[in-house]
Parts: sequence; C-alpha cells; structure tokens
Amino acid sequence: MLRRNVRLRKEYLYRKNLEGNEREIYEKKRKIREALQEGKPIPTELRNEEAKLRQEIDLEDQNTAVPRSHIDDEYANATEKEPKILLTTSRDPSAPLTRFVKELNIVFPNASKLNRGSQVISEIIETARSHDFTDVIFVSENRGKPDGLIISHLPFGPTAYFQLLNVVTRHEIQTKKEMGKMSEQYPHLIFERFTTQACIFMGKRVMNILKHIFPVPKLDAKRIVTFSNESDYISFRNHVYDKGEGGPKSIELKEIGPRFELRLYQVKLGTLEQDEAEVEWVLRPYMNTAKKRKFLGE
Amino acid sequence: MAAVKDSGFEALEKLKSTEPPVFLAPSSISEVARAASQYLFTKLKPHNPKSPFDELLVDGFDAEQIWQQIDMQSQPLLSSLRHEVKRFAKSPKEIRKIGDLAVEASHEGDVDEMDMDDDNDVEDDDDELEADESEGEEEEEDGEEEEEDEEEEEEEEENEGIEDKFFKIKDLEDFLEEGEAQEYGTDYKNKKGLSKGKNQNLSDDDYDEEDEEDEDEDEEDEEFGAFAGDDNEDADNLGKARYEDFFGGKKKETKRTMKDVIEDEEAGDGNQATEKLSTHEKELLKLQSKIEQMEKANLDPKHWTMQGEVTATKRPKNSALEVDLDFEHNARPPPVITEEVTASLEDMIKSRIIEARFDDVQRAPSLPTKSKREAKELDDSKSKKGLAEVYEEEYVQKSNPAFAPATFSDELKKEASMLFKKLCLKLDALSHFHFTPKPVIEEMSIQTNVPAIAMEEVAPVAVSDAAMLAPEEIFAGTGKIKDESELTQEERKRRRAKKKRKFKAESANHPVKKARDTNTEIHNTGTFFTLDI
Repeated sequence: MLRRNVRLRKEYLYRKNLEGNEREIYEKKRKIREALQEGKPIPTELRNEEAKLRQEIDLEDQNTAVPRSHIDDEYANATEKEPKILLTTSRDPSAPLTRFVKELNIVFPNASKLNRGSQVISEIIETARSHDFTDVIFVSENRGKPDGLIISHLPFGPTAYFQLLNVVTRHEIQTKKEMGKMSEQYPHLIFERFTTQACIFMGKRVMNILKHIFPVPKLDAKRIVTFSNESDYISFRNHVYDKGEGGPKSIELKEIGPRFELRLYQVKLGTLEQDEAEVEWVLRPYMNTAKKRKFLGE
Repeated sequence: MAAVKDSGFEALEKLKSTEPPVFLAPSSISEVARAASQYLFTKLKPHNPKSPFDELLVDGFDAEQIWQQIDMQSQPLLSSLRHEVKRFAKSPKEIRKIGDLAVEASHEGDVDEMDMDDDNDVEDDDDELEADESEGEEEEEDGEEEEEDEEEEEEEEENEGIEDKFFKIKDLEDFLEEGEAQEYGTDYKNKKGLSKGKNQNLSDDDYDEEDEEDEDEDEEDEEFGAFAGDDNEDADNLGKARYEDFFGGKKKETKRTMKDVIEDEEAGDGNQATEKLSTHEKELLKLQSKIEQMEKANLDPKHWTMQGEVTATKRPKNSALEVDLDFEHNARPPPVITEEVTASLEDMIKSRIIEARFDDVQRAPSLPTKSKREAKELDDSKSKKGLAEVYEEEYVQKSNPAFAPATFSDELKKEASMLFKKLCLKLDALSHFHFTPKPVIEEMSIQTNVPAIAMEEVAPVAVSDAAMLAPEEIFAGTGKIKDESELTQEERKRRRAKKKRKFKAESANHPVKKARDTNTEIHNTGTFFTLDI
C-alpha cells in the first residue's frame, strides 16, 4: 500500500512535468486541425512536425484529444463509478447537528450516515476505503449551529475544508407535516461563477470537488442543486422545479432542503487523516490585499 | 399704585437676575417682562409731558405694538435728555443746582439707568461675546440680531403669523436700515434715531466698527460659503465706501467716543469696551485664550483613547462601548442573505433551466475493453492447403511449439506485433538491471505462435549495486583497437617493447611470482545501462 502510494505520487509528479510539453503539442494539433478544417495553409512554424502531428490527430479518440492536467487527476476515473458518500460528524454531536446531517443524507444521493461515537478519524477513513466509498463528509458545529464541512475524496484524493455560514435547515422552517417528503432524484447541478483559470485554478478545482459528489443524473430530472459563487462565498440551494402554467418559458421553483453558504479555507492534497499532506491552497485572510483578491472567480 | 410699583420693581429685579439664555426661549419670563416694562413706563411718564399714553398697554398687544408705545414715549425723552447732558457738559455747576431734583431724578434716573444699564449690560455682554467669537461679521451681525431677538422675546412671546424662526420683521427692518445707512452714510441712521435709547449710539458704533471690520475681514470671509450673501453685500459696499464710513465725521466720532466713555463709566462695566479693540487685538486675545486652553490640555492627563495600548483596567468601565472603534477589516464580510439575493439566485436558476444548461457530471467515454470483433472475411476461394496439411500444422503446433511454421496472415498483425515488441523492449529496459536486448532478426521468418511465457527469459529483476563494475573497469583504453594482422612492423616492435618494459617492472617488484590462474577470476561482463527518465 505504501509502495503503491509512492509510485502513484511519482507518476503524478512525472505527469505534472510533462504537462507543459503536452500542452504545447495540444496547441499545435489544434492549430493544424483548424487549418485543415478551414482549408487554410498550415502555419509555417508547424511545417516540420506537420506530418507526424497529422498522424496523431487521425488516431485520436475522445480521451486523448483533451489535454489532461495534473489537477483533477484524482477525478480522472471518478466518472466511471457512482459516488458513494459517508457522512459523519465531529464527536458528541448536538441534536441540531444530527438533524442537519440527516438532511444532508437525503440531499446527497447515495449517501449513508455514520454515528461518530468515539472512533478515530484514521479508522473511519480506513474502513471507508475498504468499503469502496468515494467520499467522506465531516460536519462540525459550534453551539448547535453547523459551522464546518470537510469533504475528503477517498482513494487518495483532495480534501476540501469549508466554513458553513447562514445555515437554515429544513427543520427550522416548517413542522414535520408541512415539510413533506423530499425528492431523492439524482439532481441536475448548476455551478455559477467558478471561473478562475489563471495561475490559481481554484475555481475549477472546487467545482470538480463538489461536482463529483453527485452522480450522473437523468436528463429529465426535476431536482436542481445550485452552487453559486459570490466573492468567494458559495451559496448552496436545493430546488425542485415544475413547468408553470404560462407556457414553456415559465418555471415554478420550490425550495426544498437546507440552504447554507460555504467558504473554502483550505485544500489539501491528501485524505483527511494525512495531516502531513501537502496543502494545495490555503486562505490568507490577514494579508493586506486580501480584500482585493478573489480566489474562486468572479 | 404702590402695589403695582412693588410688583413692577420685583419684576425688574427678577429680570435682572435671570440668565440671558432664558430670554431666548419663550417662557413665563414674558409675563415678568411685561410687568417690568409697564412699571418702567409709568416711572418715565412724569418726565415726558408729551407722552400720549398714561400707562403701557400690554394686555393683548403684541411685541410690535408695545415697542411702538415705548418708542413714542421715549423719543422725545431721548432728545430732551441729550439736550440736558449737553447743557451739563458745558456748565458742570448746574448739576449741583438741581440738587434735590437731581437726586430724585437720579433715583428715577438710576432706575432708568439701571434699566438702561441692564440693557446696556446685556448689550455689552452680547457685544463682548460677539467680540470674542472668532468668526467674521456675519456672527457679529447675527449676534446683534440675536440680541434684538432676545429683547423682543423679553417683551413678548413669539410672533406667530408672519414671523417664525427664520423671519422676523424687526430683523428685516434693521437690515434695511443698515443698508440705507451704508449707502447714504451713517448719519442717516443716526438721524432716524432708532428706539433703542442711548444704546443706539453704541449699536451704531458697533455697526460702524463692524463695517470697518466687515471690509477688513471680507477677504477672510470669502471662504465661508454660508456667508456668501453677506459677502456679496460687502463687495458692493466696498465700491461705495467713503471716508465717513471708515472714520466717520471727525467731530461726531470724537463726540461719540466721549459719550461712549461716559456711558461706559456710568455703566460701571469692567469690560473695557471690547468693541474698541482693533482686529489685531481681538485676534491676539483669541490666540491667547487658545494657547491657554491648549497648555491646560497638555498638562492634564490624556484621554484614554489617546494613550496607546490600553487594557481594560486603565480605562473607565464600559468606555469601549461608547467609542466608535474603527479599523480596517481585511476580509470581506459574509453575505447577508436578503430577499433580493434569493430572488436573483432563483432567477438565475430559472434561466438556466430554460436553457437546459447544467454542469452535470459527464460520463466519460469508457475505453473499449473488448476490441472490435474482427469481421472475418470468409474467403470464397478454395483453400490452397489441403486438409491433411492443415491437420499437420495443428499437430506440430501443439506438440512442438518451436518448430511450428509461421501462422501470421495479416500484414497489420505483423506491424502491430513489431510495435509491441519495441514497447516491450523499452519496458524491459526500465525494469531489469541485467539487460540483454533481444536481437530482432527480421530475415528469419521463423516465428512461432507460442504463448509468451514460454519464451520469456528469466532475468534477475533486482541485483545489488555492489557487484557492478564501472565501465572503466571493464574496458580501459581508447576506442582505437587494431587487430594484430593490421599492425605495421613498427607497431609490432612498439608493442613488444612496451610489453617487455612492463614485465621488467613487475618482476622488479615481485621477484617470485606464482603462476596465476586467470580462469578462476570471475569477471562480470555486462553492459552497463543508464536509465534516463
């Protein structure tokens, strides 16, 4: 297991190294492809390599056409399996926290809840790995209000630490009778304004982390989960929609499920129990320019 | 009459004792003021034969009317008094002659003067206050108007109807009169004789001096936007300034100053006639008071907010709650979820639904685990091999893999296998320490379709570094090796000579040598391969 991890890490570093070259080649191929499609002459700088690249273009398939980046290599194979989630809390959870976790259980399809008891985190993650879970989600609280969320992707994937704000649970809103049952369909996902692509990449990264908690939905699914980013605060909303009476353009949205704001403060490149893992990104709120910088995109 | 007199006197006393600010606000003091003014009126009546009123009518009359009554009584009184004073100034002896009359008169005069003094005091106080203020003429004029207002309010409750806190008819009249005075000369104003008693001179003087100061301080006041109106007026006045405006008529000025001096002495005021100070002196006074204040502040212990790091014990209890502690927050505050925010979010969601633009997880196209079934083309032509030959080949393949004939039919397969062989070569290079490249012999077409395991050579996967030799140890020398047959005669001689020298050297060190068995030495021969990743 250790050696396997060591090997995988070496592979990762190697592939990260190659990325620059790969990107160049990809760019050249793209130019040639464009030139061929439009019927224009191939640019002069590519004339030498043109024949070889042409051959490669012909042999390309869907997987190889897109240049892979080292980021999200952990999620390279994630789409082949359906995600399986394990939900736990911090130790000694209060009643509101357990209720919140119950709600999250329903929100994430294919999730199961685990009572924390007195288990150690490393044990939990070991068992999760052996039972083929893809993600583990920890929720922590402060005096009844849930205030922390940790999403750890399992094989050896990244761990994202979020701060929860403005949490409104379903229990708070209505009595049990009015709540009714929540739809447990696989939802459609909406991600708004996760745009940073430049040197930081955090926008796309967080989007991937959150995306791969959910499975592939059906095309006509009526449930929608929204993550909307506004100056580094991500709003989570859970809606069910119906076509309204006023024709195809009118939609009736009904909000179900809890609503909260997430604020990312750390992304680590290992799982939760590896505290010595490398920190991919950490929030620095006391820097003098902290007000001006936005990490997750506009 | 006595009762009235007493009550009037009490009223006066009361008036005298009240604080000036009380006059500014409408209060019960107006009743007292009315009583006092009535009393004074009756007092002055004997001296004024021409007075049309027997007593001051105050019930149901407003300030304007009462004022007019007083005016009508005191105008002729003023002129007669002036006349009297001039007479006394010329001939001081006459004062003694009057004697009792004077005493009596002086009693009432005292009362009058007290009244006047009061007014004077009030006015002087006001003036002093005005003088002390550091702003320009606007405030002094305001002060003047304020003091007019005060006196009006002393007499009467607020005039409703036309007048309110922004507009007073009295002020308007005074303003107009000031304007006229400035246009036509201050004599005009004096001739008009406003009903302020002797104080009018004072106020005129005030005005004159204020005018002077107006013009002086005009430039200073240009900055004050609020006073723009006045500035304009002053600008106009500047053009029409005359000598008289600044310095007055020479005689009158001196007379006035004499009168002022007398009045001040009579007033018994210790104020030193602050309106006589020049601008410079006033400024000096201000500066001095400021300096005193600042020095005092410096000596006192500082307020806790100015003391640098202050713990809770060093400041008064709960004082941090009162102070507006302001510091720059570097982190953006968390968003407050309002109705609008939710509404905008929902709109965005709706538009996305309509467009059907979701960011779902895309199922990746899975790699084909099974290769496409080769559509085997069935050859229609007759097989060239006979059936017996087919069976023969099969049998040979089963029993003896090495000697089976080639079974590759397709060119593509050949090509694929070539590529794969190359790949395997590279992979082997990465994973074996001893590496012997398998020579790809292309001429010989003996290729047996045999499972790879049988062909694979078992090689040592990992061998310790220690046994390896460095390249120099394996072969030392340059690459130019010549076979013996290639050597020329000189070359051969050279070689022999070298050999002999070596032998001699060795035999010198070790005279007795055992015959070495070179066969027992084990040389590690292996090509050394460096891996570049």
